[in-house]
Amino acid sequence: MIHGVGGYSLWVDLSKGSIEKKPLDEDLIRKYLLGAGYLSRVLYDMIPEGIDPLGEKNVLGIATGLLTASMFPQASRHVVAAHSPLTGVWGESHAAGFWGAELKFAGYDALFFTGISKSPVYLHIKDSDVALIDASDLWGKDVFETDDIIKKKHGRQCRILSIGQAGENMVKFAAIMNDRDRASARSGLGAVMGSKRLKAISVRGTGKIDVADSKNYLKHMDEFYRRMMANPFTPGRIRYGTTSLVELMQHIGRLPSYNMKQGVFDGYEKISGEAINEKYLVKARADFSCLQRCGRYTAVRRGPYAFEGGAPEFETQSSMGSRCGNDNLESVLYGHHLCNQYGMDTISLGGTISWAMEAFNEGILTKEDTGGLDLTWGNHETIVRLTKMIAFREGFGDILAEGSARAAEIIGRGTEKFVMAVKRQEIAGQEPRAQKSMGLAAVTAARGADHLYAFPVLDEVGFDEDIKKRFGEKYLPEMAERLNPKYKGIMVKQSEDFMVMIESVGLCKYGTQIPPEFFYDDIALALEIHNGLKFTVKELQEIGERVVNLNRLYNARCGVTRKDDRLPDRLTKEKAPLGPSAGEIVELDQMLDEYYQERGWDLKTGLPTRETLARLGLNDDA
Amino acid sequence: MVCANVCSMYYSKVISPERARVRVLRVEPALDFPLFCRNCEDAPCIAACPEGALSRTSKGIIIVNNRLCKGSGECVKACPYNAIHINPDTGKAIKCIQCGECVDRCPADALFMTTEEDLAKKDPDERMRNIYDRHRNILYSKEEGI
Repeated sequence: MIHGVGGYSLWVDLSKGSIEKKPLDEDLIRKYLLGAGYLSRVLYDMIPEGIDPLGEKNVLGIATGLLTASMFPQASRHVVAAHSPLTGVWGESHAAGFWGAELKFAGYDALFFTGISKSPVYLHIKDSDVALIDASDLWGKDVFETDDIIKKKHGRQCRILSIGQAGENMVKFAAIMNDRDRASARSGLGAVMGSKRLKAISVRGTGKIDVADSKNYLKHMDEFYRRMMANPFTPGRIRYGTTSLVELMQHIGRLPSYNMKQGVFDGYEKISGEAINEKYLVKARADFSCLQRCGRYTAVRRGPYAFEGGAPEFETQSSMGSRCGNDNLESVLYGHHLCNQYGMDTISLGGTISWAMEAFNEGILTKEDTGGLDLTWGNHETIVRLTKMIAFREGFGDILAEGSARAAEIIGRGTEKFVMAVKRQEIAGQEPRAQKSMGLAAVTAARGADHLYAFPVLDEVGFDEDIKKRFGEKYLPEMAERLNPKYKGIMVKQSEDFMVMIESVGLCKYGTQIPPEFFYDDIALALEIHNGLKFTVKELQEIGERVVNLNRLYNARCGVTRKDDRLPDRLTKEKAPLGPSAGEIVELDQMLDEYYQERGWDLKTGLPTRETLARLGLNDDA
Repeated sequence: MVCANVCSMYYSKVISPERARVRVLRVEPALDFPLFCRNCEDAPCIAACPEGALSRTSKGIIIVNNRLCKGSGECVKACPYNAIHINPDTGKAIKCIQCGECVDRCPADALFMTTEEDLAKKDPDERMRNIYDRHRNILYSKEEGI
């Protein structure tokens, strides 16, 4: 028996309107854990090849991790996955908040949705009472309205996960939102939920989580808490969240600006963490068992951008700010708020608008294309206007709602070269010419361009000691040098294995990868005292590796090979023009060779070899 | 929610906000508020209990006698601060007895034991008091499962 979990999954057939409760598959948990790993296995087996991601054959999975709702620091997370409408490959996204823990208290660890509902519905879970309820009154409502209406009906203690209008309108980078301002934003899974006419999932759980070692539980947790709070990173995280990364990234030339033409931005101070704290920060907000509380709450009190709500993280400051040449902070805060309200990924949104802005500034796109909108760099009124137009697919916004890669295919005229994406997903806020590992991570990530699948941050600045501990002294100094491509294949491989494992236990990348406080041995201890599951460090590493290989097999089925693990030419052929990384390109092929080699993947195809699959127990999937 | 988790683990050996003696409420916009027993001077819960299961200790803390409590819920109804609940497993009333386990562990240092007078000193411009007054009705409205 596994402790510390709800123990069940719910299978909802939206075409039939039926709901089935099934116990968790314990054998599967021993091979894949829960969360991202569990979903990777179940959906790999369920989703047929070559399906329409917005059709009835797609399966939407949502799972909590083994430690979600535990007392381990930052154990607040859940994972959503499906075939991605943005990339056409494996789609996965994660969020924190309270919703995942509430699902556990209701007695469930995972939800699976198949088919398409004839009319809009939402799923309401109150412990063992589960029902699909008509959502015609919710359809067309934004994320905040949906939260308010459902709470009014079912009680204010419900936790709500929903889509906004962007998901209903199947914007290709629509997010699934929960607890109002937490976002599973990447991969466009909000559009999948919209295609299924599933508006929301509200949960109220009054049950309990029993733990394996209740006698020593608090004692161990006290020590985890002590370490987290004593980490030198924690005070800064509490003070700024991730917002002060703007200043740090400017300093190392890694702040994507003007559609990634450069990694420095003159107006960086105006959109910085310090600027947010000075005038707009209301408070820091934590999620279920979070000690670092990087969540922000902000308000703009007057003017056209007045609002109160969740605040941007670094990613949005860069995507809607520097990436669009925009130094108007109030528009960035408000634009981010609109993305929460309508349910959209701010990274892909900013990446798509900045693509259009570059094409406009080059004279390729004109006002005739944009419906009269002026897309000059930094035009914040246009950015905010387009954010709304994309969510509702109005005018030019209808083309941008397809994401930059598809929009360039529609427009043509050479705009393809301005697309800063991998596998059709926009690259996040890491100018890779200033940090080579991030360039490699963006191409190897299963869900298309992504900084989080590997989240290789230890070469960012000053983590030599941790690199020594986690990888070995022999890799110093090269691995710690962010402009040096050497050993980055090894770093990205090992980081992917670790991060995927972390997403399978329901913990945050903060506290595990950066600051690098908790590592495999701590997770093994937590799984033992919470779940009563005994894993060695080696077994946990292997599980991470197994999941990464299975994700790769999923993508191989979609036709992905080495040829798709490519960065835009701008980043591999054009030297960074300015700042601390001036003159740099991403030496991608060199790093890829090292990465495939380290993975046991074929250098030519970039696919797992039979030996590798056999070693990981995936022979049947070859 | 660290306080609620600590509380349910400490007393019930499980993680369950529903079984905690402190409840954390989130009221939009941006108010996160823990509900604790205040050990009122005129404690209406003591008088409300038909079994006489509630009493005050020499230190002024109101406690529940588990032997006498029959879980009638009269104390829950009588409490103006929504600070007593029935434990769904035992069927008996539970409330904060100021043990301090959560205070020590709150990562935000948001919890401390205080009195009305001390609190007024800490809040000279009455900022906290105003936020509290604005929300007190919604905080203490008794609704299913809080």
